Amino acid sequence: MGEREARSSGRTGVDASGAQGVGPAGAQGAGRAGAGIAVEGLTVRQPATGRTLLSGVTFEVAPGESVAIVGESGSGKSLTVRAMLGLLPRGLEAAGTVRIAGERVDDDPRARARQRGGVVSLLMQDPFTLLNPLRRVGRQIADGLPRGADAKAEVPRLLAEVGLPADVAGRYPFQLSGGMRQRVGLAAALAGGPSVLVADEPTTALDATTQREVLALVRRVQRERHMAFVLITHDLRLAFSTCDRVMVMYAGRLMEAGGAAAVRREQLHPYTRALLAAEPPADRRLAVIPAVAGSVPAHDAVADRCAFADRCALAVAECRDGVPELRAVRHAPGPSADVSAVRGESGPSAGVPAVRHEPGVPAVRDVRLSACLRATELPAPPAPEPGVAPALPVTADPVLRVRELRRTFAGARRPALDGVSLTVAPGEVVGVVGESGSGKTTLARCVAGLERPDAGTILLGGADCSDYGRMGRDAVRQARRTAQMIFQDPYSTLNPARTVGAALGEALWADGRPAAPDDVARLLESVGLGRDMAGMRPAGLSGGERQRVAIARAVAGEPRLLICDEPVSALDVSVQAQILGLLAELRERLSMAMLFITHDLAVVRQIADRIYVLESGRCVETGPAEQVLDAPTHPYTRALLASVPDGSSGWLA
Amino acid sequence: MTRPSRVVTRPPVSVVTALAILLAVAVAAAFAPWLVPDATGQDLMLGISGPGPGHPLGTDDLGRDVLELLVAGARTAVPGALCVAAGSMLIGNLVGLPAGYLGGWVDALAMRWADLMFSLPALLVAIVVAGVLGGGYGLAIAVLVVLFAPTDTRVVRGAVLEQRHRPYVEAAQLKNLSAWRIMTRHVWPNIAPVALANAFLNFAYALVSLASLSFLGLGVPAGSPDWGRTLSDNRTQLLANPWAVIAPGLAIIATAAALNIVGDWLYERVDRRGRTR
Repeated sequence: MGEREARSSGRTGVDASGAQGVGPAGAQGAGRAGAGIAVEGLTVRQPATGRTLLSGVTFEVAPGESVAIVGESGSGKSLTVRAMLGLLPRGLEAAGTVRIAGERVDDDPRARARQRGGVVSLLMQDPFTLLNPLRRVGRQIADGLPRGADAKAEVPRLLAEVGLPADVAGRYPFQLSGGMRQRVGLAAALAGGPSVLVADEPTTALDATTQREVLALVRRVQRERHMAFVLITHDLRLAFSTCDRVMVMYAGRLMEAGGAAAVRREQLHPYTRALLAAEPPADRRLAVIPAVAGSVPAHDAVADRCAFADRCALAVAECRDGVPELRAVRHAPGPSADVSAVRGESGPSAGVPAVRHEPGVPAVRDVRLSACLRATELPAPPAPEPGVAPALPVTADPVLRVRELRRTFAGARRPALDGVSLTVAPGEVVGVVGESGSGKTTLARCVAGLERPDAGTILLGGADCSDYGRMGRDAVRQARRTAQMIFQDPYSTLNPARTVGAALGEALWADGRPAAPDDVARLLESVGLGRDMAGMRPAGLSGGERQRVAIARAVAGEPRLLICDEPVSALDVSVQAQILGLLAELRERLSMAMLFITHDLAVVRQIADRIYVLESGRCVETGPAEQVLDAPTHPYTRALLASVPDGSSGWLA
Repeated sequence: MTRPSRVVTRPPVSVVTALAILLAVAVAAAFAPWLVPDATGQDLMLGISGPGPGHPLGTDDLGRDVLELLVAGARTAVPGALCVAAGSMLIGNLVGLPAGYLGGWVDALAMRWADLMFSLPALLVAIVVAGVLGGGYGLAIAVLVVLFAPTDTRVVRGAVLEQRHRPYVEAAQLKNLSAWRIMTRHVWPNIAPVALANAFLNFAYALVSLASLSFLGLGVPAGSPDWGRTLSDNRTQLLANPWAVIAPGLAIIATAAALNIVGDWLYERVDRRGRTR
């Protein structure tokens, strides 16, 4: 891709409509000759620093085919499609050839401009910001229509295609829910009649049940219109369920590629295995979630070796001797392959000769590609050990008792909390699950004293903490020592101006444990961090490290109750597994109770002993974790469970 | 998506230039009596003249050398403006921080005070004060501090409100830290850059405002070497010797701009906290 192009298209923002401008060509109807995407030898560099961010990415997507690009943050998955679409942020340059719909576009900015919104459309991540709040939805969809199209006829047709009534066209974005907005975004993306659709994490901002609906819709539309579809996601199971093929990226390189069912059945790269293993299952509890230590390296740091070698248990000397090429490892079994095969079961083992992948020849569709030197000799992964919820001594004296808690925010139509009662026994982990708007976070904040309930009582360790404003100094101090909290966003949970050591030292001091110099170091080590981290500021830490510091700060005074408000939902899966492991360990060591707020049933399964399911501020179901998740009685719980991606292709059906 | 991180390198040309300007201004302000002992010396026979030998920037209507006036003027202009910028920011922080953090009646009281100040015509107040208390440079500075403070209070309060509900502040509250400690140790360091940037802006305004007050008889007496004073004294001589007006104007602009550039650069160097994430 030429320098001119990279710069001229440096804008990362996207039209309010979510689609990329208007395609004057108005390529209505797909199915052109040579349509689809072919990317070869894609490399992205930052000339100012001389860094390379990704390299050697080669793939193609045929019309009607869906391909998922999967990876954690820092893997280069977003950069790949942005380079492909000519939408790199300023200061980055791409090289390599990109053909879209048979036309070479990497060296031709005008071809790109012609294609945007016409042949190619992009569905953005955040439905809450992709629409212009001041314009009616219908007009925003009409923006993407080819010149000369009849908006009065086309807009209702597009709305119907994405399952929305025609009168939505007259509404403003704020009048629509997140799922409806993402549908509108899809309608706008379809307006130009694209033959290539790219979706960048289109559902991460949505609730689980909405996510499933939107993905099912996207997939149906993609098949009906026979579009080439690229889905960027961090969720391997979601990719399996949604797409025909899966490509796994790590540190700016392709690690593995293959049919979704085949990769799901057997992973031919240790990284893919680690990624999949780190995603907790919703249907059973594991003793330990297998987590890989460390984090994703920078592309340049592993320029001379397999990017995963330093974290790989199977690495041999050759793995660090040059970058292993992505090569055809094995022909996938034919179309009769058993899609519903159990994960972990090995496919046909070694014996198929490794076919050297010739550079320049696009991947053959039914071939498994892997960048692992040992792809054909990987041992079967050990089956994870099932875990059991620890038996708790029955006590009559709960650490937290909440009775009939009510809270209505000013201006809200319905209460955020509508009479919620719950108890947490000492040492017990209680999960509170629900979607956004269910009141679970309000509950946590009321218990922590960050929010004042309108009515109801909160007893912390037997003391009434319903209204912190009316409690005496000593009572407040006692309550704060009893309950501490960790927050969702690792990026704002620490004070950016203070060093880690200062934050932890202050936490120890505040909890009445005047810190000897060694205490901070010990506290850091207790959450799996190095002593030398005390001098660092949060900006130098990764998301997982920040969350560890936040946990250390919360447990500095060894509280009896730790309130966890979505502590892992902003983290990558491998980091999520590490943090869940840490919380489980701390719980055991400090015999600490937890109030664990999450929307993720797979996560709550791994850590909670008992579960409360909240819907619209009411508790609709409660019981031991196994009972609630294995035999849910309430339809809402069942719907939540069904919306957890299981990786099967039938999940979206 | 991974964003390329900012790479800190040697100071760019703009910063070096700005530092040079500030150094020159500082030297002028500190050593004016020795550098130009006779800055106010008049040459009535010469009168106003354009740039020429002996007078690189020409002379004003009293035959005073404009360049010498400029050097001597730094001594009054810069410290005064600095006092105004620092003083109003001090008040702004002392009032704005509790107003934003504590809210409630503290906030209401502070904001009504600010509203009241905004509703007063600034120059009129200055004239009245001058009439009642008499003029003087110190009084001019005090008046400007009082007049600038409400704006700074609002800026600080707004920045505090933005931080107030960040999890790190709530985590500090959960540690039962005192409001004073949270305000000073946790919130303030994060709003300091905003306050600092605003103080730099105030400095530029103060330079010019002090000149206006001098004009009203509140600041330095007429004829004293002071950038603002020279600017307003000589504005009628724009055609005879444009440099008599342009030079002090440029001095004000260059000093203010240089302070801003150096301020920004210092902030980036010292504070690599990553403001967003």
